[in-house]
Amino acid sequence: MASSLIQRPRLLGGDEAGALILVAACFAVPILTRNILAYSVLNQALIGVIGAQSVWIMLRMNLLSFATPAFMALGGYTVAIAGEYNITDGFLMTAAAFLVPALVAVPLGALVLRLRGTYFVLVTFVLSQIMQLLLFETPRLTGGSNGIAGIPAATLFGVDMMSQRQVLFYTCGLALLATIVAVALTRYFRQHFASIEENEILAESLGLVVWRYKAMGFVVAAGLAGLAGYALVTMLLTAHPSSFDSVVAVDFIAYTIIGGRGSVLGPIIGSLLLVYATQMFGTQGQYAQGLYGALILVVITVARGGIVGSAAALLRRLRPGRRATA
Amino acid sequence: MEQFIQAAVIGVSLGAQYALLALGFTLIFGILGVVNFAHGGFYMLGGYVAYSCVVQLGLPYPVGVVAAVAAAAALGWLFELFLLDRLIDDHLATLMLTLGLYLLLSSGLLSIYGPLSMEFTFPVTGSLRFGPIYVPRENLIVLAVCVLAIGALWLILFRTDLGRALRALADDRRVATAQGMRPKILFPAAFALATGLAGLTGALVTPILALSPSVGDPVLATSFLTVILGGLGSLGGAALAAFIVGLVEAFTSVYFGGSIGALVLFVLVLLLLVFRPTGLLGRQARGA
Repeated sequence: MASSLIQRPRLLGGDEAGALILVAACFAVPILTRNILAYSVLNQALIGVIGAQSVWIMLRMNLLSFATPAFMALGGYTVAIAGEYNITDGFLMTAAAFLVPALVAVPLGALVLRLRGTYFVLVTFVLSQIMQLLLFETPRLTGGSNGIAGIPAATLFGVDMMSQRQVLFYTCGLALLATIVAVALTRYFRQHFASIEENEILAESLGLVVWRYKAMGFVVAAGLAGLAGYALVTMLLTAHPSSFDSVVAVDFIAYTIIGGRGSVLGPIIGSLLLVYATQMFGTQGQYAQGLYGALILVVITVARGGIVGSAAALLRRLRPGRRATA
Repeated sequence: MEQFIQAAVIGVSLGAQYALLALGFTLIFGILGVVNFAHGGFYMLGGYVAYSCVVQLGLPYPVGVVAAVAAAAALGWLFELFLLDRLIDDHLATLMLTLGLYLLLSSGLLSIYGPLSMEFTFPVTGSLRFGPIYVPRENLIVLAVCVLAIGALWLILFRTDLGRALRALADDRRVATAQGMRPKILFPAAFALATGLAGLTGALVTPILALSPSVGDPVLATSFLTVILGGLGSLGGAALAAFIVGLVEAFTSVYFGGSIGALVLFVLVLLLLVFRPTGLLGRQARGA
């Protein structure tokens, strides 16, 4: 009887399975269509998916991070510099793009994770500014304001990812990998993260070693951001400081908040929908920021769960008999 | 030596501009506990309103400046009253709201005025000559107005009942409210005061520097830098830090060039945030 009183953790929640299926389904696009525009939109959206999940992991612990572009730059420039030495192996570069930012995040995390709330937001904002300035001030390594152009295509099993179709396949793979990592981390430490989000002081006084989970989240979020940087550099074949400025952080935060911060589906759906919506503006792409702004105001004032949270609430209301267990 | 004095003059005049921005920013944080991501947006709004008044409507420049202050203050007042006030104690939500407003504001200005830089020049030109040193008149005027505005702000905050009430709310909101201060009226007023200052800075500075829909980002970064250096919420600290930042920027750009000065400042601020979050003159970190 005791077992019925304790809810045994399931391997995957419905939303997490949905997230994995949704990202995996993106592989269908390069298989089913030859539309170059669709390729480019989906590629950008998937980079958003990876980056937004990096933001989302930190938000699980109530920490809003603007540092994503800084870690993206670390991952992207690692690949770009390796390319100058003709190292292009896909598996090796994926590992490097994840590990370099993750390793940098270890000492950095020890510094900045002492801060909470507003102060954490500010320090991550400062971090992204420092990275921008560093990129400009180290022209020998990073090409300074010119960036690094003409990066060789990634190779997988000896095949160069030259065509847009191959690049999109590759980005799909990276996005799926990132989603698996994000789901695995937040699933395994679900209760730990939730207790930090709910009440950090209480969690600590109950014996949870809070800094350990925060550090783990920070390091993995940095690694995911590095993957996003890799995907971006692979798409553009250029690493340029302007690809990693604070506007990128704002975009990822917008995807996450508007999509819904309650579930991993949020940043994924947010990225896919908002990048698609941005394309609807066509050549007037700069107005997309206004749309993000308006949607953020709406989400924060009336629909706190974002798209996914609101949809879930609506579903619950439509099915009054059943209680949600997720 | 001449180069040194020239750099010092530029530094002081930059410092005065930064002080106006940082005082507004720190006022909002100190009293409301809100990090105003839209501060650069109000600066831009001030610049464009002044531009419209002067270039499109043909009004005299001082009228444009007053209109810019009024527009920025009015928008700030409305935004606080109708959006921010409902969620004032949720620091993440207020931060997202100001970020949302900034995105809306900059893309609104973009759709009205287009992406190009505006032909907006200061009405006074030429420079004064003190021996071998030249000081542009426009910088002197901006400096004078900034110093006057800082003085006026000091009078408001330390010599009027409004200022005393605002400072009481910044010190301890609960006690101040119990003593009869009314946040419902005072919070929008404080926000409007601060955004009005940002609008004033925009109207004064954009004719000298540049006016385009992208000038808000560096303004926000500089405000952050200054305010953290001085101690979030500390008025004296913000003013002091503004002149430090101005002088460091001026001297490093004259003697080293590039952005090395900004890099040093940002690293300094990072370390300060981590090891002394109260900044140079701040007393205590806000429980945020």
